[in-house]
Amino acid sequence: MASDQVILETINLDKSFGAIHAVRTVSWKVYQGRVNALVGDNGAGKSTLIKLISGALAPNAGSFRVHGQETTIGGPAGAFNLGIAAVYQDLALVESRDVVMNMFLGSEMTRGVGAIFLDHKGMLRQAHDVLNDIHARIPNVREMVRNLSGGQRQAVAVGRALIRGGEIIIMDEPTAALGVEQTQEVLQLIDTLRKQGKTIILISHNIQQVFEIADYISVMFHGELLGTRRREEATEAEIVAMIMGRRAP
Amino acid sequence: MLERITQGEVALSGRRRAQLLFLMDNGIYVVTILLFVLFAFLAPHFFTPRNLVNILISASLAGIVTAGYTVAILAGQIDTSTQGVLAIATVATALLFQEAGFSLPLTVILALTAGIAAGLFNGVIVVNGKIVAFVATLATQGVMLAIALFLSGGQTITITRAGLQEAVFVRMFGIPSSVWIMFFCYLLGWIMLTQTKLGAHIYATGADYRAARLSGVPVDRVIRIALVISALTAALTAILVTARSKQSALFGLAIAGSVDFVTALTAVLLGGFSLFGGVGRIERNLVAVLFLTILGNGLQLMNVPTGIVLVVRGFALVSAVILSVLRARVA
Repeated sequence: MASDQVILETINLDKSFGAIHAVRTVSWKVYQGRVNALVGDNGAGKSTLIKLISGALAPNAGSFRVHGQETTIGGPAGAFNLGIAAVYQDLALVESRDVVMNMFLGSEMTRGVGAIFLDHKGMLRQAHDVLNDIHARIPNVREMVRNLSGGQRQAVAVGRALIRGGEIIIMDEPTAALGVEQTQEVLQLIDTLRKQGKTIILISHNIQQVFEIADYISVMFHGELLGTRRREEATEAEIVAMIMGRRAP
Repeated sequence: MLERITQGEVALSGRRRAQLLFLMDNGIYVVTILLFVLFAFLAPHFFTPRNLVNILISASLAGIVTAGYTVAILAGQIDTSTQGVLAIATVATALLFQEAGFSLPLTVILALTAGIAAGLFNGVIVVNGKIVAFVATLATQGVMLAIALFLSGGQTITITRAGLQEAVFVRMFGIPSSVWIMFFCYLLGWIMLTQTKLGAHIYATGADYRAARLSGVPVDRVIRIALVISALTAALTAILVTARSKQSALFGLAIAGSVDFVTALTAVLLGGFSLFGGVGRIERNLVAVLFLTILGNGLQLMNVPTGIVLVVRGFALVSAVILSVLRARVA
């Protein structure tokens, strides 16, 4: 793993909300084709950091480097263009719309002049293909999202990220609300994505789960990045200690 | 608010639920046909060519405004400024055509432009002011009514110049143009909502503003467009209403009888739409408008006093609201 490439890097990233200093000069490396876990207690700044990366928030200071190139993110659309796609904790799915429309929401396929008319057939086909690629079990892509299970919803949200050409996929607590079986389904999904060469940023509370799936584990505490460990070189005790604010020697 | 309303969820099996939803969504077709048959037997002169054309004309006026209104509702925007836009556009039409002596095409273009301006004004208040449409448009309606009052000097402007009524109510295949315009509006609306990217964005914005925004849907632009469409159809209706009655009416509802916010709202809800946006099909609203028009027309022909007709219409709105809430619980 010594040869792992850094695909995305934050440089001295800083973000405050009034008196709350949510992210303090964070310089973080994300490795290509790996599962990069970001752990920390509630309020440690994980969510703010990933929102900065996904363009949902703009930093007060600091910059990004993607594929070695210094860049700004410039909103969610800018993040998509850089191949960064966030799967939000609540998945940002529209319950009363079907699977296909959700997967293409905001990046609909069109046909004819002026990109006005929807290409319903094209979207249907690609939705099938993408869901097959990630081994998602969704019997009917015309089903409304509200009738899907938690694991299926996660697959739809990930499918959307892939359709947008997502190379770096941010997953925020993807198993938080799921039962045992569906959690396994999501972990398999993450593994499938990794095997396809995608880079995953995984936010999680669940240390066991992180040790099960992640390649790199980074810990945040009070807005600071305390450090990053390779999974094989880290122990659960060490990570838990870091989460509680004890800087590793 | 939605949480509170959808409380007391109904426990139903998937199949029963699907059946119930199908009934709620499509019941309007059955009820409309039943009502039509009922009046054909009960109401004198109901089932005559002349009255059927009358029903279509009335329906066309209410229908056009409802078509645009539906688009706003789908985008999650309850546009209550309809009467204000009607007032401005009717005064504009009468002033420009009668007082200023403008040509008919120019009058129509300028009256529609006034509607677009009103819609843009709504958009600025709702989007830039970040104010819920229901409240924002209630306020802008006040401004619009005042402008209409000022422009008309509080007077009804009677149109004596020839050409307006005749042009707008030209008959094609025996059916007046306003009816064709209504069908055209619904066809256009159906295409836009089901076949275009804008339509997909309107549904998504209305159903879940946040999710749509995070997915990269230009939600603010979508809301602006929806409000402009709503105002534009109101202005179009105002031109037709003014042409039909050959006079301006300060309050759009007073002359059209059935053209107002409440009718539009009732029709939208009867059509199976959610007041909270994102759910519904525009073709059902066309049927709902026909239902309301047939109801009013039939009762009138049976010499039911106007007060009672209004009470019945009120109950139609109440039932529509109940239906809408029930639907939200079952879905």
